[in-house]
Amino acid sequence: MTHPRSEQGAQFFARFRDAATHFCRARQVDLDFVVQFADVPALVTVRGGKVTQISEAKAPLLAYEFAIKGSSLGWAQFWLPVPAAGWHDIFALNKRKEFSIEGNLQPLMAHLQFVKDLLASPREEQS
Amino acid sequence: MSVELEPIIGRYTTFEIEGKKCRVYFEEAGKGIPLVCLHTAGADNRQYRHLLNDPEITARFRVLAFDMPWHGKSYPPEGWQDTEYKLSTALYVETIMAFCKALELERPVVMGCSIGGRIVLQLAHLHSDKFRALIGVEAADHQEPWYDTSWLHRGDVHGGEVCAALVSGLVAPQSPAVHRHETLWQYMQGGPGIFKGDLYFYRVDSDLRGKLTGIKTELCPLYLLTGEYDFSCTPEDTLRTAQSIPGAQVTVMKECGHFPMSENPAKFRDYLMPVLNKI
Repeated sequence: MTHPRSEQGAQFFARFRDAATHFCRARQVDLDFVVQFADVPALVTVRGGKVTQISEAKAPLLAYEFAIKGSSLGWAQFWLPVPAAGWHDIFALNKRKEFSIEGNLQPLMAHLQFVKDLLASPREEQS
Repeated sequence: MSVELEPIIGRYTTFEIEGKKCRVYFEEAGKGIPLVCLHTAGADNRQYRHLLNDPEITARFRVLAFDMPWHGKSYPPEGWQDTEYKLSTALYVETIMAFCKALELERPVVMGCSIGGRIVLQLAHLHSDKFRALIGVEAADHQEPWYDTSWLHRGDVHGGEVCAALVSGLVAPQSPAVHRHETLWQYMQGGPGIFKGDLYFYRVDSDLRGKLTGIKTELCPLYLLTGEYDFSCTPEDTLRTAQSIPGAQVTVMKECGHFPMSENPAKFRDYLMPVLNKI
């Protein structure tokens, strides 16, 4: 089965993969979760506090714990060097319905800052 | 002595709140008009260290910041181990009034942030005559919840970490890293279930919409300061609240979030000083 894949979603996926591939924290985190960029889902695997794989989630019967899905507009704004008010946090974006946070939220809440920092890793530094 | 000491003095005092003796920790600095500062939910009086250390403010104001019972260095009242902490509107009002009475503060100014901002509205409603001015920071009569507070206190999620991680998004991106992380550390150090218990007041027991009648801003000016990055208490929430209170004065603070006095003290000062200069 193939799925539609927008160019913009693919670009956001590539940007995230490039920035987050080496993300790690000194923390015992083991997670499998999905991050979706418009219509392009990515499976993120974390073992021992280190991202070990980021791959496009194409496999059938995909197993994961939670998913954070965002619109192209949401990711574009979220990753600005200084995001505008209301576009600067995943919960602000969830509140304005540009993001959705779904699934078993216990592992997300147990490692929330880790996940938030990982998702923000493509953000450009303030000049 | 070769090191410089800050002018802040920390002390303990014991007084009754709702019939229970509470040993309360407070810090103070300065002389003049009493300015009582109320910390946010799940935090403590360290949020006001920059005000307490500001010579321009303490030249005119006796700044006092207390840790609510259950917070910071104030213990819970005796017998706490058999109870669940839940802050109510009535308990919060009595706590503030009891502190002011215990310290014999004459018509103080009260400034509160977040839950402290909400209760300032209730103080204006009930006790305008007892205060010189009221300052609500991140204050609104109601706001929409954006997460389930049950995540704040359960066995399989570290309470301090999740409290800090949730509120981290309420800090503006422009806030200096050192102050951002000090602010989050306050949340990491809260007692188990205390942030959740404070939010019982915020979410359940204090919907003040339509209930803020009779506020005499000509007798007791009411100033409302809200950060543009606060998506919990939004500028729109504060502006809506002010529409129901004749005379309430609103300022939306650019590049500030939900904890302005703690997360970006220099920026907050730019907005606070014009208010203090009117008092």
